[in-house]
Amino acid sequence: MRLLLVEDDPMIGESVRAGLQQDGFALDWVQDGRAAELALQTNQYDLLLLDLGLPRKGGLDVLAALRRRGDAIAVLILTARDAVTDRVKGLDTGADDYLVKPFDLEELAARIRALLRRQSGRADPVIKIGNLSINPATHEVSLDAEPVALSAREFALIHALAARPGVVLSRAQLEEKLYGWGHEVESNTVEVYIHSLRRKLGADAIQNVRGVGYVMPKPS
Amino acid sequence: MNSIRRRLLLWLLSGLALAVVAAGARIYTQTLAEANELFDYHLQQMAASLPSDSFGPLPPSNLNELAAEDGLVVQIWNRNGLELYFSRPASKLPQRAELGFSTVDTSRGAWRVYSALEQNNVVQVAQPMSVRQNLAAGMALRALFPLLALLPVLGILIWITVGRGLRPLDRMADALGQRTPDALDALPQEGLPREIRPLVQALNELLGRLSRALESQKAFVADAAHELRTPLTAVQLQIQLAERANTAEEREAAFAQLKRGQARAAHLVQQLLTLARQEPGLAPRSQAPVDLAALARLVVSEYAPLAAERQVDLGLTHEEPASVPGDFEALRVMLGNLVDNAIRYTPAGGTVDVALRMNEGKAAIEIADTGPGIPQEDCARVFDRFYRREATKESGSGLGLAIVKNIADRHRATVLLENRVPGPGLRVSIGFAPV
Repeated sequence: MRLLLVEDDPMIGESVRAGLQQDGFALDWVQDGRAAELALQTNQYDLLLLDLGLPRKGGLDVLAALRRRGDAIAVLILTARDAVTDRVKGLDTGADDYLVKPFDLEELAARIRALLRRQSGRADPVIKIGNLSINPATHEVSLDAEPVALSAREFALIHALAARPGVVLSRAQLEEKLYGWGHEVESNTVEVYIHSLRRKLGADAIQNVRGVGYVMPKPS
Repeated sequence: MNSIRRRLLLWLLSGLALAVVAAGARIYTQTLAEANELFDYHLQQMAASLPSDSFGPLPPSNLNELAAEDGLVVQIWNRNGLELYFSRPASKLPQRAELGFSTVDTSRGAWRVYSALEQNNVVQVAQPMSVRQNLAAGMALRALFPLLALLPVLGILIWITVGRGLRPLDRMADALGQRTPDALDALPQEGLPREIRPLVQALNELLGRLSRALESQKAFVADAAHELRTPLTAVQLQIQLAERANTAEEREAAFAQLKRGQARAAHLVQQLLTLARQEPGLAPRSQAPVDLAALARLVVSEYAPLAAERQVDLGLTHEEPASVPGDFEALRVMLGNLVDNAIRYTPAGGTVDVALRMNEGKAAIEIADTGPGIPQEDCARVFDRFYRREATKESGSGLGLAIVKNIADRHRATVLLENRVPGPGLRVSIGFAPV
């Protein structure tokens, strides 16, 4: 899952990026409102973590512009403004959740998972597709109730595909979900991980749509 | 006795009493003068009316009656000095040598005496002066009595009137007494006596100033709490990362981050305290002369290690003997903040020059760097509390320049920011008032 973090404070940005990457999220980080808009227009993100007090363009302005454009991306506001009116305003401008600083990394990750889950139309925290179950919170994957050991990248890949079964994701889209900026992507990495996943989860777990990308079939 | 009411009562009644006494004295002297004239005439008439023939069996009772109420004493001698008649043997008066009016002091007080030569006899009619004085005093007292009786009534009237006049003050005291500490709106001025209005106006102005000061304090505390969240958030996240660390390397890196976060929070708290101590409106604690050259040398040497670490060439390029009255510690904080900013925003290899100059008796300290400068539109806002320019790698408190401004204001100094021409770089000048 690829997230965009908009946070002007270098220390907080650094820490959130480090923490969420440990949780298996790919994360891009920008420090002002204009850069955030540029990033949102040029990349596909699953969720936006938005600070409100930003240089150049305020967080609420970014959010309002985003919703005007019809972008339905999940938005979680991260801010020091804790007044009820601020929270109401943030949510009414189009945010899906609101977290007041200082916050806990675990809680942030849990809220991100909840938003992503809802976005893909599920209520159950564990994704179940056929005989496969994937727990985004614990990164546990099991096949026929037998736990399967996956690497962080493998998990990120299966999670991205399983979040929207039946939807074909291109190699480029999968790469985006695996890597934030600044990571060198080898040309065949996605194929390598797909191969490894098929070996662990069965050959039909992930299907190849030639010339388009990869898909997890919806269970019939 | 510090009461307007009592003081007014005392002074007004004293004045009235004095006026009454003065009026009494006037009535007394005037009545006395009139009585003198009248009784002298009376004495003369009396002497003339005495029987001029031989003093045979004069009916003394007749004379006595005549004289009793006016205290008259009649004495008659013949030419040879033989006493012929005394109206009152008990109050015998010596025979006066001269004729006409005279005033005689006797053991029984002063007497008014009239002597006349009636045929061959000397007739002397006398009257004690006390009779006339009593008459005058009686007149005066009768005239003054109603006024004296009126004094207590006047006192009560004054007491009530002054009380009413001062009632707006009581109402104001009540209104003020019932206020909560944050009710600082102005007191109503309608219907107030002219004498009290200036007081209320002054009070309202004070309330206004207090209200503004309180507002700015509230805003400051709110801003401060808000700003403290950021470093505390960073520290909390860094702690969690340290807890999660799996390898010694990761842990070491996390702790290094944590230390930086903690240092930053501590720095912010320190800056907040400094700012609170340098609130505008307060006079500098000390007015001792501060040697600016020594101050500049001290600050430059204090920041030399930081400059070396950042590979910035920091130096004092010019100094002249100069001193201003003020608070040495505060001025040191001010100059330190400016030098610190200059070093932090100057890229490695750059220069920070500090110079102390005297221009027409005015001392000025200049700090010039070779950093990026400040866009013209930001020059006014950088003095605002917590204002930070666009994201830079420097995570300052946003308070440094606000502190500089406060300290400068307290020392009646100006702070001027200007981009250097030719750039790049910023020049900050602190201009002190002439000593």
